[in-house]
Amino acid sequence: MGQRKTTSSRAHPRTPDTCSARTGALKADGDGPVAVKHSICMVSDFFYPNMGGVESHIYQLSQCLLEKGHKVVIATHAYGDRRGIRYLTNGLKVYYLPLQVMYNQSTATTCFHSLPLLRCVFVRECVTVVHAHSSFSALAHDALFHAKTMGLNTVFTDHSLFGFADVSSVLTNKLLTVTLCDTSHVVCVSYTSKENTVLRAALPPDRVSVIPNAVDPAQFTPADPGRRDDARITVVVVSRLVYRKGIDLLGGIIPVLCAKHPDLCFLIGGEGPKRIVLEEVREKYQLHDRVRLLGALDHKDVRDVLVQGHIFLNTSLTEAFCMAIVEGASCGLQVVSTRVGGIPEVLPDELVTLCEPTVRSLCEGLETAIARQQEGSVPSPETIHKQVRALYTWRNVADRTEKVYDRVAGQEVLSLDRRVLRLRSHCGSVAGSVFAFFAVLDFLFLLLLGWLIPDDVIDVAVDASGPNSRWRRDVIKKKN
Amino acid sequence: MAVNQYTDVNGKPITFDSESHKDFCREFTISNAKLSLRTILIYTCIVWLLAYAVFFITENTVVLSSAIIVTLVSMVIGIHFVKVDRETLLIIRSLGVQVSSSFASGRECTTFIEMSKIKDIVINEAVYMHRVIYYLCILVKNPSDPEMISSVVPLFQSSKPRLNCLEQVYKACQEVLLQN
Repeated sequence: MGQRKTTSSRAHPRTPDTCSARTGALKADGDGPVAVKHSICMVSDFFYPNMGGVESHIYQLSQCLLEKGHKVVIATHAYGDRRGIRYLTNGLKVYYLPLQVMYNQSTATTCFHSLPLLRCVFVRECVTVVHAHSSFSALAHDALFHAKTMGLNTVFTDHSLFGFADVSSVLTNKLLTVTLCDTSHVVCVSYTSKENTVLRAALPPDRVSVIPNAVDPAQFTPADPGRRDDARITVVVVSRLVYRKGIDLLGGIIPVLCAKHPDLCFLIGGEGPKRIVLEEVREKYQLHDRVRLLGALDHKDVRDVLVQGHIFLNTSLTEAFCMAIVEGASCGLQVVSTRVGGIPEVLPDELVTLCEPTVRSLCEGLETAIARQQEGSVPSPETIHKQVRALYTWRNVADRTEKVYDRVAGQEVLSLDRRVLRLRSHCGSVAGSVFAFFAVLDFLFLLLLGWLIPDDVIDVAVDASGPNSRWRRDVIKKKN
Repeated sequence: MAVNQYTDVNGKPITFDSESHKDFCREFTISNAKLSLRTILIYTCIVWLLAYAVFFITENTVVLSSAIIVTLVSMVIGIHFVKVDRETLLIIRSLGVQVSSSFASGRECTTFIEMSKIKDIVINEAVYMHRVIYYLCILVKNPSDPEMISSVVPLFQSSKPRLNCLEQVYKACQEVLLQN
């Protein structure tokens, strides 16, 4: 309430300005291409209060872009009571739109019903770039579709890897082909992920950039020296206990290593259908005192679990960009991981031991890590932390994303006829024709909305961030 | 006294009239367009054409008489409960805020909020009918805890003026509220 009040009390009359006048002024201020400030709308089904990697990615990236002087708003669907418009730190404005949630926090898609609300958001916030996140989010696909119809530049960030074989990935891949074939630019989190996306969506590789994720180094700090129990060697695993994360491999490693090393114990955080595998192993080999299963962890508790261990083990079978090993290394642990997906790109060789995704290879890898730990030839957690904290920072991510925006802002958006042609030539005759028809319908719907409520009847929102921000100006005034 | 032309969120013209009696008392009136004969005729025609169509098929005169009743009843309900001609906000520093709306039939509906209960008057944003609009509202204090807000009373609900008009009202209200 307090926040709402403060923004409202800043509303005071100004000369009637339209979006075009404002963006024109923005460009006039800048001496070169560097000074152009964008007005970005991040769209995804996944945002706080839901927790996860995509959510924190959007939040952290938005905060860093705000710091660089861009205007950022976020559009997501309503989460229970949390609907309407909210402000977060530094005037980050979030639209929780009342759209129906269908499955797994993803909204239902009919291609059209979200157009009136999204159009209203794009028009009143004078958005120039629409940035959608996650291929699982129906709202993100919808927003890209509508943004292209409205003639806005679009960027899409893909956060996951996909297969090509099963029915669900075939369908998702087709949808992705359709969405991405006329998107201005695509961002992936690793080179492996880029390769995957280029193949899945049949994209020209020069339209895809790689910008890795980052961690908040302040959140993942090593434990104070002496706090850790050094009498035993602890291996930590933090992941969802699902097939994809290679929990079956973990079930094979535990008995072998526990038999060899009496001072070894395992600490496993996370929940999932494969928990039964680990429980069976524990039961069969009577390892109750050496294998601890912690169950589901809150994001804030992850660090406290990590710092109890010496070695971080990741057994994933597929991974676009493994955040977990960066977090482990940031807490000063030795990292042992499988060599799959984008993992080899993530950490420098001296910080990670890579193995093939087999029980034997992983055991060998763990043995070397244990031997190093016993010799005491491991660098101290603080040294590792210092090395990792420089590797992945959100500021760096924001710098690189800004370059993508600069590039995209210069491109022209496809007109409807060229878009239809592109859809039909890139997405096959059936899907291409169907979605070309949808694109035309969307355009007609937009014309209808434009007739019912013309753009100039929609009030331009009072900026809470960006170059015309009321928020920051008031903060500066207070400081002086 | 100043009368100005503004539009509401749908682009229809409204008149905004602000009157200042001394510095501690302000009155704002927003008048909507009057109920036009044309809209009444259009609605009546639609109902009657439908009734005739049904009559043509069923050949039952009850349809026609019920159409007359429906038209008359909906017209009475419309002018008495739905169509708002004028909304007035009267703010007096020492007393409080009076909000009244007068309907097309002349019926008036008035509520009064004491100054001691009012925490603030602010402009807020809301999602409304597939769009996002600005509106002016009164924040009412929670009687048990004056720092908290127990309810929000939206103002100018039926005329829904645009931001430029709301800002005028907002500024004037703040001037009155901040006087001691």
